Amino acid sequence: MPGPAVELLHVGKTYREGDSERAVLSDVSLAIAPGEIVVLVGRSGSGKSTLLNLIAGIDRPTTGRVLVDGTDLTALDEDARTRFRRRRIGFVFQFFNLIPLLSVEENLLLPLELNGKADAAGVARARGLLERVGLGDRGASLPDRLSGGEQQRVAIARALVHDPALILADEPTGTLDAETAAAVLALLDGLAREAGKTVVMVTHSREVVGVADRIFDVQRSRLVEQPVAPGASGRSGAPARSA
Amino acid sequence: MIGRQLARIAVRHLARHPWQLGLAVLGIALGVAVAVSIDLANESARRAFSLATVAVTGRATHQVVGGPSGLPDDFYRVLKVELGARLAAPVLSGDVAAADHPGRTFTVLGVDPFAEAPFRPYLEAEGVRAAGTTAGGSSVPGAAAGERRDPPPRDRLSTVAALVTRPGAILVARPTARELGLRAGDRLAVRAAGIRRELMVAGLLDPADEASARALDGLLVTDISSAQEIFGAPGRLGRIDLIVADDEAGRALLDRIARALPPGAELVAAGARAGTTAQMIRAFQWNLTALSLLALVVGMFLIYQTMTFSVVQRRPLIGALRAIGVTRGEIFALVMTEAALIGVVGTAAGLALGLGLTRGLLALVTRTINDLYFVLSVRDVALDPLALAKGVLLGVGATLAAALAPALEATGAPPRVVMSRGALESGARRMVPRVTWLGGGLLAGGAGILALPAGIAGGFAGLFVLMIGCALVAPAAALGLLRLLQPVAATAFGTLGRLATRGIVASLSRTAVAIAALMIAVSAAIGVGIMIASFREAVVSWLEGTLRADVYVSAPSLVGNRSDATLEPALVARLAATPGVARAGTSRGVLVPGPGGPVQVVALDVDPARPPRWRFRDGSSEAVWGRDDGTGDGVIVSEPYANRRGARVGHAVRLHTDRGDHDFRVDGVFYDYGSSAGVVVMSRRTYDRFWDDRRVSGVAIEAAPGADLGALMAALRERAAGDQEVVVRSNRALREASLEIFDRTFAITSVLRTLTVAVAFIGMLAALMALQLERAREIAVLRTLGLTPRQVWGLVTAETGLMGLLAGVLAVPGGLMLAGILVFVINRRSFGWTMPIDPSPAILLQGVALSVLAAVLAGLYPAWRMARALPADALRDE
Repeated sequence: MPGPAVELLHVGKTYREGDSERAVLSDVSLAIAPGEIVVLVGRSGSGKSTLLNLIAGIDRPTTGRVLVDGTDLTALDEDARTRFRRRRIGFVFQFFNLIPLLSVEENLLLPLELNGKADAAGVARARGLLERVGLGDRGASLPDRLSGGEQQRVAIARALVHDPALILADEPTGTLDAETAAAVLALLDGLAREAGKTVVMVTHSREVVGVADRIFDVQRSRLVEQPVAPGASGRSGAPARSA
Repeated sequence: MIGRQLARIAVRHLARHPWQLGLAVLGIALGVAVAVSIDLANESARRAFSLATVAVTGRATHQVVGGPSGLPDDFYRVLKVELGARLAAPVLSGDVAAADHPGRTFTVLGVDPFAEAPFRPYLEAEGVRAAGTTAGGSSVPGAAAGERRDPPPRDRLSTVAALVTRPGAILVARPTARELGLRAGDRLAVRAAGIRRELMVAGLLDPADEASARALDGLLVTDISSAQEIFGAPGRLGRIDLIVADDEAGRALLDRIARALPPGAELVAAGARAGTTAQMIRAFQWNLTALSLLALVVGMFLIYQTMTFSVVQRRPLIGALRAIGVTRGEIFALVMTEAALIGVVGTAAGLALGLGLTRGLLALVTRTINDLYFVLSVRDVALDPLALAKGVLLGVGATLAAALAPALEATGAPPRVVMSRGALESGARRMVPRVTWLGGGLLAGGAGILALPAGIAGGFAGLFVLMIGCALVAPAAALGLLRLLQPVAATAFGTLGRLATRGIVASLSRTAVAIAALMIAVSAAIGVGIMIASFREAVVSWLEGTLRADVYVSAPSLVGNRSDATLEPALVARLAATPGVARAGTSRGVLVPGPGGPVQVVALDVDPARPPRWRFRDGSSEAVWGRDDGTGDGVIVSEPYANRRGARVGHAVRLHTDRGDHDFRVDGVFYDYGSSAGVVVMSRRTYDRFWDDRRVSGVAIEAAPGADLGALMAALRERAAGDQEVVVRSNRALREASLEIFDRTFAITSVLRTLTVAVAFIGMLAALMALQLERAREIAVLRTLGLTPRQVWGLVTAETGLMGLLAGVLAVPGGLMLAGILVFVINRRSFGWTMPIDPSPAILLQGVALSVLAAVLAGLYPAWRMARALPADALRDE
């Protein structure tokens, strides 16, 4: 049986605020199985995004360990962590964060290029994904020419293009209207499940919660597992434990 | 006026961006410091020059000035007794060097103490203390054995008696005496034309005020007969000062004097000679001022950049303020108040820094003036309030002027609407064609100004307009170059290459200003570099043509490029007779009065078979040397002389000779870089026919074939030993010495050039720091996508290097244009000379390399900060 895709072991994170320290996360432990879609909910400032950043390796925990695919990110230096991230993780941001200087297609090619895969096959894969997200004809456009929904579809394609095992999404529908949000979410859910990706998503949105296999509420710097609503599209029964 | 809350916003914004604030303050401070220090150094030199002039001219209204051999002292008697000039004072002055205080020079003022009082007030009774005795002639009361105290004042007559009766007796200002450790009665050794003379301090002058103290600093007052002995001019006077009333009787007296003048003498208004020298120095100082202002202009770019950043950064805030009812006027006032704050702090720092810089620059300015024009001892920095006020005006004014456009831009922020960065940048790109047209207009305007006969000021005005035009054209040119570079960068570095080139275009509103500022600074470096290299090349080739003998002997001179001292006639004969000498040609350089002011005349004893190989602009010297049968009166004039006085081949140069006024025919105009005032060259035989002066300034010796040059020089030194100190230099040594003076002259230019590049460097650093702030999120996204810190560093460095490369490449045409203007307009108008321009590829490449290096260095820190920033921090700010 394969090990967990993501494993958090007694993770804590505190920030300095002047002379005092504020704990955002304390003693958080969690295991996420490969192919599982986990949704993190919580109030603003509760530490959801911080947790996501720790899993991505773009932030470091104050205590504890973060393992992705069995690799302890906290034991890696900045360079090694970055190289690990570029290979194994795809990121979808709330504000899309497409590189404004690059065209839509070039945005997709960037992760491939960083992984040394921007060859003909890579270009074909990028174009294929653009077709899948319904933007096959917009490859040459600059991001600021696209609507919010279109930009987020590009961002999802960019997160998947280099075939990472783990997709992290921070409020992926946070800035979209309900209809567009639903379409984007369906796309992310469909593509991730089809490719068997593990997804960790941070959200406020009920629609997003609907796709979850498991839901965790970040409360008072800890994770509290919530029941998955009946009729949700999530796959129950995946091995996980919560502190 | 802005309200308290708005003021709080301004202060907190500045405090939150210490880097931006610090760099803006530093930029304006450096700009102000350079401008103020040059102004103060120039002012100090000008004041010292003016005081030195006043010290020797005094209250005279007119002067009778002699030719090369001065005036016969009998003419003084004629003036007073026969012509009735009651207020007349004879003067013989010259420069000497203190023998035991290296580098210290003095002006010896030989006067008639009985006639002096109306002319030079500081020599009056109350200021003079005499040597060793009190008024009653007793020793100083209370002085212990071996202890000397300065005696109390004594009457003027006894001091005068001391001056007149003791050969070599001098009066020195008390502060000067204190500095040299001299007391009344002490001896002071000086060298005049290489001959050591022992002088005796007969009394101390107590200056009544600061102005008198400065005037007297560097002055040794002596009796006229002592001065005649010191300068080896028995029976001769340098000039006679006159005070003539500006009325009918006065004019009649002047008329009588003019008619009775001895041959070669001239009656001039006092200060006319000093005026000519001052004019020369002013041209040199103009050049320094212009170069110093360039640093300020580059500093203005920096301020403009800083204020634009601060406005753009706060557009959402400004929009929100407008939404809650803050008026456009209040927003304008807010931005301008911030600018004023930066301007005041930067200017204050600049003034402090400028005062520190002044002393160093003053040494360089004085050295150049001494090398080229006049023996000047400037020992105090004149804290001229006007120069300081100008600094304040320049600093605060430049800051406010640079902030005007961003302030107006800020008032345009619509309430509640936050314009995106992208929209702003699109706006900036849309501005490019308009700015380019404006730049093109300025380029045409600048060229038009240069075409006007508007003197040095017009030349610099045209130059500045052209440089601003270049700066405005730079963004379009940079965009064009980037378009060419993009495919190359994309092919070589893939998406990161694309990011680097597009990053510059995308942030055009910032990058263009930084590129333009750096481009101007590097253009200046290239332009000035080419001008100096061309000039040096011309001087080297001129020296080759001029210095054709093997050995040169001269008396030591206090002015670097002028041989104003003379050799003893007996010594000249002995030198010529030294074994191993094939031929000894003499030269004599003198200032000769002429209708248009004094003229530097050089008389050469030239071997017609080996004339100097000067390059001629017009005509030739053939008639001057070749057919010199002793009856000719042909001369050749240097290019500066021809340019300044409009002389051409076939024209006549009128000079006051000892035989009366004579028109000398101009046979040729030759290129010369020895004197910016210009020279008239004639053969020694012609000179001897018109002047009674038989002295020699220098001897050019040709060695006999096969003679050992080292042995010959040793023999010449031996022959001169004990008599008069002489400088014996080989052809090569003289050439090197000349080039050393040349290099010294341009040392200050190099300093100013470096300072200008330093300001541009700070501008680039400020631009990159601001960009780093704005691009934090973009960089964080790239880091999240997998860019390593090293790749981020590489990306940012590539971008900054590219900006430097663009500025460097654009600086090449700018620098060539600047060099052309400096060589063909500024130099010609300032100094009268022209030269072939030599745009060495090495200088152009150095300029481009300097630009890239400055940009890359400026980018190191921002790149490091971007690379080490935690992506999560930037993303959290979302």
